[in-house]
Amino acid sequence: MAQKKPDLSIEFCGKTYKNPFLLSSSPVSNSAEMVERAFDAGWGGVVFKTLGSDRLRIDHPSPRMNSSNYGSRRLVSVQNVEQTTDRPLKDNLMELLYLNKHYPDSQTVHSIMGFADKEWEYLARMSEDHGADMLELNFSCPNMTIEGSGHDAGKSFYDLEHYTSIVKRAVSIPVMAKMTPNITDMTETAMAAKNGGADAISAINTVSGISGIDLDSFIPLPNVFGHGASSGTSGPGMKPIGLRFISDMAKDPDLNLPLSGMGGIETWIDALEYLLVGASTLQVTTGIMHYGYVIVQDMIEGLTDYMASKGIGKLSDLVGGTLPKLGKTDLFDLDRQGVVEYDLDRCIGCGQCVNVCTDAGGQALEWKSETRRPELTEDKCLSCMLCSFVCPISGLIKYKAMPEGWKRRETAVRDPSLEKELKYEPYVHDGSDGCLV
Amino acid sequence: MNINIVKERFKQMSPGMTMDQAIVEAERCLLCLDAPCSTACPADTEPGEFIRKLRFRNLTGAVRTIKSNNILGGACGVLCPTAELCEKECSARMATDGNPDGNDKPIRIGDIQRFLVEYGREIGFQPLSVEETGVSGKIAVVGSGPSGLSCAAELAKKGYEVTIFEALTEPGGVLRYGVVPFRCDVDFIEQEIVDVKALGVEIKCNSPVVGKAAAEELLKQGYDAVFMGPGLWGAYGLKEHSADIEGCYSSVDFLAKLRDEEFDGIISQFKGKTVAVIGGGSVAMDCVEASARLDTNDVYLIYRRSYTQMPAEKEERIDALQAGVNFLILHQPVDFITDDKNRLTGLRLVRTRLGEPDESGRRRPVLIDGTDWDMPVDIVIEAIGNKAVDESSDWYPNVKVDGSSLIVIDSETGATSISGIFAGGDIVRGPALVVEAVQDGKIAARAIQDYIEKKGNKE
Repeated sequence: MAQKKPDLSIEFCGKTYKNPFLLSSSPVSNSAEMVERAFDAGWGGVVFKTLGSDRLRIDHPSPRMNSSNYGSRRLVSVQNVEQTTDRPLKDNLMELLYLNKHYPDSQTVHSIMGFADKEWEYLARMSEDHGADMLELNFSCPNMTIEGSGHDAGKSFYDLEHYTSIVKRAVSIPVMAKMTPNITDMTETAMAAKNGGADAISAINTVSGISGIDLDSFIPLPNVFGHGASSGTSGPGMKPIGLRFISDMAKDPDLNLPLSGMGGIETWIDALEYLLVGASTLQVTTGIMHYGYVIVQDMIEGLTDYMASKGIGKLSDLVGGTLPKLGKTDLFDLDRQGVVEYDLDRCIGCGQCVNVCTDAGGQALEWKSETRRPELTEDKCLSCMLCSFVCPISGLIKYKAMPEGWKRRETAVRDPSLEKELKYEPYVHDGSDGCLV
Repeated sequence: MNINIVKERFKQMSPGMTMDQAIVEAERCLLCLDAPCSTACPADTEPGEFIRKLRFRNLTGAVRTIKSNNILGGACGVLCPTAELCEKECSARMATDGNPDGNDKPIRIGDIQRFLVEYGREIGFQPLSVEETGVSGKIAVVGSGPSGLSCAAELAKKGYEVTIFEALTEPGGVLRYGVVPFRCDVDFIEQEIVDVKALGVEIKCNSPVVGKAAAEELLKQGYDAVFMGPGLWGAYGLKEHSADIEGCYSSVDFLAKLRDEEFDGIISQFKGKTVAVIGGGSVAMDCVEASARLDTNDVYLIYRRSYTQMPAEKEERIDALQAGVNFLILHQPVDFITDDKNRLTGLRLVRTRLGEPDESGRRRPVLIDGTDWDMPVDIVIEAIGNKAVDESSDWYPNVKVDGSSLIVIDSETGATSISGIFAGGDIVRGPALVVEAVQDGKIAARAIQDYIEKKGNKE
């Protein structure tokens, strides 16, 4: 029996996206020529590179980026000092007209950034008048060389609410506010934008960071003619941060806005994880910086096949799927414990498990040098799982839940004879210090 | 063909790894807890340590690990049969259902070692220095091959005054005169020798220690100890007087000529000729590969056993086949065929079959009666083993030697039967690996130090 092909299309603020994958507002969405190729490759939409009013000249620092590598792995994260568009507004609006005309089925979101009330209003109207399907308000660029803009605005509850409300009053198309992760609690900043009338939230913009330092000159990288700066860091290394902020917002019943997720998405698995924590559209830049627009084909195919294999017909059925099981650590059942188990038939005898267990775990593994194999003492295992992470053979070391009531052995004291020198007395808690626990 | 084109083929060894390649390869390393690679090196090299250092970008430390243990770490990285040593023990090559990539793909330890040594040279990093030990003592080293250089460097590091006596015009011994240039080129070897000289070792070339008891005389000329590492420069042959036949070479002669002023003569002599090399070891592979580069007609490798029984490394065998060499296995050469002017015209061969295992455990080749045939060849190179120069034991008449004129030592110390004379390398072991000779040099150096200290205490 032929199965119905899973549907990747999704509704977002009243618009239908043929798939959830968008170029985020960045160097990968700088011109119509680029976006055209991205649409041809299969991307469902674009958030065009942030528009400005031409009032203030935008010059790009050079060089613009630096890569953080891990061993031979390149672009584990990327630091950029990219600015908003350096093209005239007229040119950008012509580019957007072109995309609307030639790609009516692809969603075109305009990212805008003003530096004053009237400027926000002006840019919003210009965008709406040139066919923007939606606006994204850039409250989050960490690199602006102009004070009071970018993530400075995104850290201010007043600015977030104020500018959003100005834009909302100026246009009738949906408005999405893009959040900076360089804060503590995104539900609060997102709520400020909601109070100003935001219809959706996108996150995360780049994380402020320093990717490296030139060891001869001591100049941070990228070295912009003798100076460096903390600036926007993106890429696979940022995914845990992005997932965290999206899930925080998705779980907040007061916020209750559609979310566009981004931060380290490269594969359909990354994409699916963002959907599961509550994003319904997804944005990508660094993955494209590394591999080009073509990666969307693997995201589409991979996600479609996954949905088919799970019998999921609609993408929206996946959105937020993880949230009921995502709580705080105080919900954990601490009565249940487990240990690792080893499939030693597959072991090649490198002993990395023993090394990490000895120096960072529970000293539960002993190296048998004659057989070159580890030997586990189960009740010393912390179930930290470090051994399974360093093992070169996937699946050789697995978690095994132990029966209820099973406890591991306590860590032995190095020299029990020191007990006679103890001046220890137990802490007595009488409630007088106001502690609630 | 232009002689320069032929020469070009001999000039360069294949390029080593780049930094990027070395880093990727180091990442494949499993950083084994007990580093089995490190226990497999005859010279106590610790790949487990230098690969870890590379992994953590401690590149200078990695170079130090290699060079402080083995002054010829670069040469060993190039020349060692790593597939039979460190890489044989590599856990990354162990194939399991979870590690399909492991299927005989060990970490390229030798290549990483070479990369690190070359990197150290490139940045001008000098990890070795002479210790301020306050010792004094003069040591004579006979021969500037692997064991001699190793022994000299170890002693110089401790502060001893070391002089190497080299018979030939340039230092390096078998590294220079016994290895084909495209496997390890002269510049590469010379850089290792520079490191030895930088420790204050004096190398006297054109200074053979020959003549009646010449080696023993050194002890009377003010040297506190002597290390003998002259190597094996005689050759076994099919017939006693094969060297007299025009067109008949020993591998020792042939390879040495590739390195010196006779190279031009070799090029014109081999041009258009049919060459047969007898043997199945690494030296035979060097000879066939060199012959194939010499604008020859056909090159044959003649071996009396089977392909898999050849002592040469698998890679070398494949390289030779790829170079167009014809392997004639299960054939025993029994005689040379010459014309009336004693010029070689052919080889008489008999087919063999494999019989019962011999003392080496390999099945013995048995001649098949009535299968002899004559193969027309112009040149034969015999690569069936080196031996001590015939008169060598006259140079040290009181040092105990065995029936093959190999020097007998105490394996713990390298001490010979004569107090103050130590020995190592091929003159002790018979044909052996560079890395084994390096270890002999190190062991003897430690023993020489003890010997000089004890002698000093007595005086």
